[in-house]
Amino acid sequence: MGNYYRVGSEQDYGTPAVDNKELVSLSIDGQTVSVPAGTSVMRAAAINGRRIPKLCANEDLSAFGSCRMCLVEIEGRKGYPASCTTLVEEGMVVNTQTEQLAKLRRNIIELYISDHPLDCLTCAANGDCELQDVAGAVGLREVRYGYEGANHLDAAKDETAPYFSFDASKCIVCSRCVRACEEQQGTFALTVEGRGFESVIAASQGDDFIDSECVSCGACVKACPTATLTEKSVIEKGQPDRAVITTCAYCGVGCSFRAEVRGNELVRMVPNRDGQANHGHSCVKGRFAFGYATHPDRIAQPMIRESIADEWQPVDWDTAINYAAQRLQSIQKQYGRKAIGGVTSSRCTNEEVYLVQKFIRAACGNNNVDTCARVCHSPTGYGLKTTMGESAGTQTFDSVMQADTIVVIGANPTEAHPVFASQMKRRLRQGANLIVIDPRQIALVDGPHVKADHHLQLRPGTNVAVINALAHTIITEQLEDTAFIAARCEDEAYQTWREFISQDSQSPETLEAVTGVPAAEVRAAARLYAKAGNGAIYYGLGVTEHSQGSTMVMGIANLAMATGNLGRPGVGVNPLRGQNNVQGSCDMGSFPHELPGYRHLSDQGTRQLFEQHWQVELDPEPGYRIPNMFDAAIEGEFKGIYIQGEDMAQSDPDTQHVHAALAAMECVIVQDLFLNETAKFAHVFLPGPSFLEKDGTFTNAERRISRVRQVMPPLSGMGEWEITAALASAMGYPMSYDHPQHIMEEIAALTPTFSGVSYKRLDELGSIQWPCNDLQPDGTPFMHVDEFVRGKGYFVPTPYVASDERSNARYPLLLTTGRILSQYNVGAQTRRTDNMHYHDEDRIEIHPSDAEVRGIRHGDWVGLKSRAGETVLRADVTERVLPGVVYTTFHHPESGANVVTTENSDWATNCPEYKVTAVQAYPVREPSNRQKQFRAEDDKQRELLPTS
Amino acid sequence: MTVRSDKLLHMAEQITANMAYTDDQSVVAAKVADHLNRFWDPRMKAALRELHSEGSEQMSPALEEAIGLIHD
Amino acid sequence: MSTRVYVPADAAARALGADSVAEAIANLDLDIDIVRTGSRGLYWLETLVEMDSDQGRLGFGPVPAAAVPFLFEAGLPDADHELCLGLVSDIPELAVQERHTTARCGVIDPLSLDEYRRYGGFQGLEKARQLRPQDIVEQIQQSGLRGRGGGAFPTGIKWQTVLNAEADRKYVVCNADEGDSGTFIDRLIMESDPMMLIEGMCIAALAVGADTGYIYIRSGYPQAIATMRRALELATTAGYLEDLQLEVREAAGVYICGEETALLESLEGKRGMVRYRPPLPALEGLFGQPTLVNNVLSLAAVPAILADGADQYAAMGQERSRGTLTVQLAGNVKRGGLYEVPFGTSLRELVDSLGGGTLSGRPVRAVQAGGPLGAYIPPALFDTPLDYEAFKAIDAMLGHGGLVVFDDQIDLGEMARFAMSFCAEESCGKCTPCRIGSVRGVEVIDRIRAGEQAEDNRILLKDLCDTMIDGSLCALGGMAPYPVLSIMKHFPEEL
Repeated sequence: MGNYYRVGSEQDYGTPAVDNKELVSLSIDGQTVSVPAGTSVMRAAAINGRRIPKLCANEDLSAFGSCRMCLVEIEGRKGYPASCTTLVEEGMVVNTQTEQLAKLRRNIIELYISDHPLDCLTCAANGDCELQDVAGAVGLREVRYGYEGANHLDAAKDETAPYFSFDASKCIVCSRCVRACEEQQGTFALTVEGRGFESVIAASQGDDFIDSECVSCGACVKACPTATLTEKSVIEKGQPDRAVITTCAYCGVGCSFRAEVRGNELVRMVPNRDGQANHGHSCVKGRFAFGYATHPDRIAQPMIRESIADEWQPVDWDTAINYAAQRLQSIQKQYGRKAIGGVTSSRCTNEEVYLVQKFIRAACGNNNVDTCARVCHSPTGYGLKTTMGESAGTQTFDSVMQADTIVVIGANPTEAHPVFASQMKRRLRQGANLIVIDPRQIALVDGPHVKADHHLQLRPGTNVAVINALAHTIITEQLEDTAFIAARCEDEAYQTWREFISQDSQSPETLEAVTGVPAAEVRAAARLYAKAGNGAIYYGLGVTEHSQGSTMVMGIANLAMATGNLGRPGVGVNPLRGQNNVQGSCDMGSFPHELPGYRHLSDQGTRQLFEQHWQVELDPEPGYRIPNMFDAAIEGEFKGIYIQGEDMAQSDPDTQHVHAALAAMECVIVQDLFLNETAKFAHVFLPGPSFLEKDGTFTNAERRISRVRQVMPPLSGMGEWEITAALASAMGYPMSYDHPQHIMEEIAALTPTFSGVSYKRLDELGSIQWPCNDLQPDGTPFMHVDEFVRGKGYFVPTPYVASDERSNARYPLLLTTGRILSQYNVGAQTRRTDNMHYHDEDRIEIHPSDAEVRGIRHGDWVGLKSRAGETVLRADVTERVLPGVVYTTFHHPESGANVVTTENSDWATNCPEYKVTAVQAYPVREPSNRQKQFRAEDDKQRELLPTS
Repeated sequence: MTVRSDKLLHMAEQITANMAYTDDQSVVAAKVADHLNRFWDPRMKAALRELHSEGSEQMSPALEEAIGLIHD
Repeated sequence: MSTRVYVPADAAARALGADSVAEAIANLDLDIDIVRTGSRGLYWLETLVEMDSDQGRLGFGPVPAAAVPFLFEAGLPDADHELCLGLVSDIPELAVQERHTTARCGVIDPLSLDEYRRYGGFQGLEKARQLRPQDIVEQIQQSGLRGRGGGAFPTGIKWQTVLNAEADRKYVVCNADEGDSGTFIDRLIMESDPMMLIEGMCIAALAVGADTGYIYIRSGYPQAIATMRRALELATTAGYLEDLQLEVREAAGVYICGEETALLESLEGKRGMVRYRPPLPALEGLFGQPTLVNNVLSLAAVPAILADGADQYAAMGQERSRGTLTVQLAGNVKRGGLYEVPFGTSLRELVDSLGGGTLSGRPVRAVQAGGPLGAYIPPALFDTPLDYEAFKAIDAMLGHGGLVVFDDQIDLGEMARFAMSFCAEESCGKCTPCRIGSVRGVEVIDRIRAGEQAEDNRILLKDLCDTMIDGSLCALGGMAPYPVLSIMKHFPEEL
């Protein structure tokens, strides 16, 4: 495991690895080496322990050849070729160290240093500076040019970006930052301005970083070999002394990071090049927004109180656990075994989630366990399980690099899954086609470097009509893959579906009236996808969070099966998961009807397996889902809840209803980092650790299980899993584990798709995509390769059923919701970081024509009223939305976006219909009474906190 | 009829509508019943059955048939 | 039939008043048909007015506009007129030349397809159309033609490389971003015989399998751009461009875009920055596709090679330098202009005999050959023949054929400084030896000239020159030291 706790920077072989089976042999400094054809001389030398000095080369970037430090001598070639741009050839004889080269390199570094400040001792990069290292390596002893000549020592610093500073006086114009912005991030925010000696790095058109197109992904900062681009945290705290490889706890991409630490203080998060999901890239959240972990708002001590109007009493852990257990037990005594339940968090580790569901099923004796994935991707679980047999995406992220046509449905990757979006954009720049199906003009539709071939800008709530129209086109124009269907899918179901989808009622022309999308556009998109070669579908919550979320997921699966776009690289059905461990929390048996590995409770064999291992009898019937729990609470039959890291009072729809339900309960136990909105209704607060304080695993959107490693000790002294185990034990069901790895051993023993997973294997492989078992010992990058998990693919007819949520004279607009890059979910984490510089309030996007008729101008306060409630937001008048559609984010609790969303939900899973709410908008002078009340209540809750 | 049973009925009708891609009512009813059996807490099924036996609410024929097929 | 009178219209002749001359002639009440030609490049004779006679073209010049009435005082002038130079073909400086590439320059109306055809135009293309691509390439290889842009790389090998590359699309690109000091031949050809360049590109495209071509012309050459565009229209209308989509692009206006990889970046719409090599542009050039990039002169030589046969071309010249070189004599020289001569002609013959020594009449002090990055050659080495290898042997280069003459009043230390400051001015900024080295070069030369630790600084300057030569990414930084080193070597008292 030592390998994952490192000192110093990561290895850098100078140019990217080449995937080539053909080997080439050459001589480097007299040593014969063999490397894949296409490898640079620099990399070949580095792999074999010969470090050629370099400044502009970096393994993350394609070779550039500008610094001229890496020149070598090659027999039979004149001059001094740069080793970074020269590829190996069979029989090549390379000398990397000769007297002539030493002199040349010394003379070049002398030129660099003649225009560089001599403040190494006080420089933030001291000890982590490639210029310093190279100057040392080549033995520079004097700068004969003196320091009186032309220079850039007085160049201005740009400190406007929240997380890093740009000190142009230290810039060596290697263009690594510019190339990182282009090649890795794909934003093209940086450029070299001026020519020759006047060349300087500039953001956008010479703007300050904060005003530029820069998205603060940090790629440039990582790429910079000097102190020019440096994390402010490094400037403040100094260089780290160790690094821990861990996994980001933000979105479902699951980036691998080196958490670089000094003592127990996290200095910076640097994306890990070996990370199999992110390949060394990152976004503003994972890279920089970790300050919440040490924010003063963190609660460090357990607290209890009799009623929610009382002041919180800080207590020790034993007291808190026993108090919680006793309250739950007394509820069960009075109202029955099934009067309590629990909710697992998609932000917690697999091990922690597994333990909470085990706690509910085994210690509490019922199946009232659900997960926050209920409100995001539960339709994915239902839809993909039904059609293909496994509740998970089919591919790796890397698969997108082989896609010919990419379809993005109800997802906004550049905002919500930025690191994967960068990879997707790279593929699009290589020439892949793009179809976007979204009510809103997301950035991918029309960016400076990517453009959608077709944007099907549908009315919110009509997804199923669009997917049916696409499928209709494919079937009636004979574009289906008949061989795939015949070999791989159930014929009877296919014929039923085929008959359904071929009906005129499903044609683009008929459905145009419903969707608002021109039929010709739909047909063109269908042809593009069907004839793509490799067609890959990526979708997000714009698919699932609808009254027909599950139908739409099945519609997508139907489309992929009908065109044979499954079971190989470059294709597939790929749900983009919102939170870091949505996949994992579902895998771990969080849903009330199924045990870990998506096995239904009614399956006696599975149940018995768990009963034997857990030494309890399990209820074979499903328990309540989250909305059922709320309804039952209001009815008075559900009284106690254990909530692991989810702020339901803010994130769940129809806030008033949720608040009423929470207020009706007799024991609400909140386990969280902060005193969140839900904690206002809590009787017990158990301070949980941040991901930096944990050991465990997360499973990302590609089913990739990655290790989370402890970077610092838990603030409250207790690990997340330890709290749950203690609570179970106090309830009379002892749980004893020494370490989360033992929980994983139990999961592996009980779950066939996880049987090959262990911390040891994870350390060996870096990460593992489940299923991982005897059949697939190294995991499964691509699902359904030879046959579907359920055997044959199952086509399901998908009739379009209009949502109850329809616009009318009173509520003429349709509100849809989404995400923004710098904020995450309800903002509990990101609002406690400098990401607030980017997005400090939620705004309502409204089309200019809708704004004009209402007398709303850009920046005005706008009242928003639905059947459920009303709130006030400021207006962003924009053509990103169609007339009749308004859009907002819900990262800030005072915005109250969920005050207006309704309790409508997906028919199959009760996933809330966040994406469609009929509303009216009107200009107002100030925030709503509720919002003013919110502030007052918030202050009141703070007053109830113990003063330390 | 309480708020909750109103909601349960609404959910059940939603399920029925989404299964109704065929005119064969018994096929729809079987699918609806299967769904309720797999995903609903028995207390919710009981409430729905009770609502049905009270006969006060209008239900789609397929749902009525499905209610006859759900188990305890 | 009215008499044809020829008045040049290339930019240099116009700068010397050719338009006023033409206008003045037009205003005469004479039965004259004025033909605006390009220029023969005998610039000391411009405006050179020519007239058909039984013996051939009679030349008159130089003719200032004010002299037109005098010239036509007695109607059409004859060989006895005071301004008559005799038959143009007998003008000694022209008579000794071997005009192959520039045979039609100044002779025909550049935008007349008929005249172009009458003077042998499109014969090369017609021959090429009978040949397989490989046969065309072999003709070029046998001719011994080497890249006339300055690199002197065997043209046939480059063509072969592009021909052998497998790709869906290939490009031919003509580098007409002529930026060397003292050079003008690309412009002269484009303004005087544009069809020849088009024909050369058509043959090149046929040979390598390209379907799209670009002519990237220096932005400071508006007349060449306009002439080429018009010529393209005419050639297109006449059906010569059915297999080749050819387009003129105005260059970005910086010296570095004459470097072929920076040129390709610029053509792609990007900042003109040098690319590293390999990959060779021949394999991964414009938009990553195999691309043949040739200078105007190289492409202009092609029609004649195809029409007359490779052997005839290869028969001229010496050693590995075959054919002719279009020398452009400029600077402080009595008879500045174009001299197309076979390789092997000595520098002395060009400067002293043909050029007539300095314009100032003072002794020649040095000749800078091959543009701003070329060496300064002292008269002691003037016996060196025009030959790529012979020039290399004296640490000099022929480059694009520009020779700039200086008399004994030149401050060569200042010229050395200029070489570095030119490099600093024109550096794209990508590689360090050029980006920082050129600036330091100016500073060190200043210190030497000011007498500050002159010996140490001379050693440093030599070190710097070596660093730039060995370390630079492209020829700009890699050659800027040559003028400096040549001055340090041949004129040590100056630096």
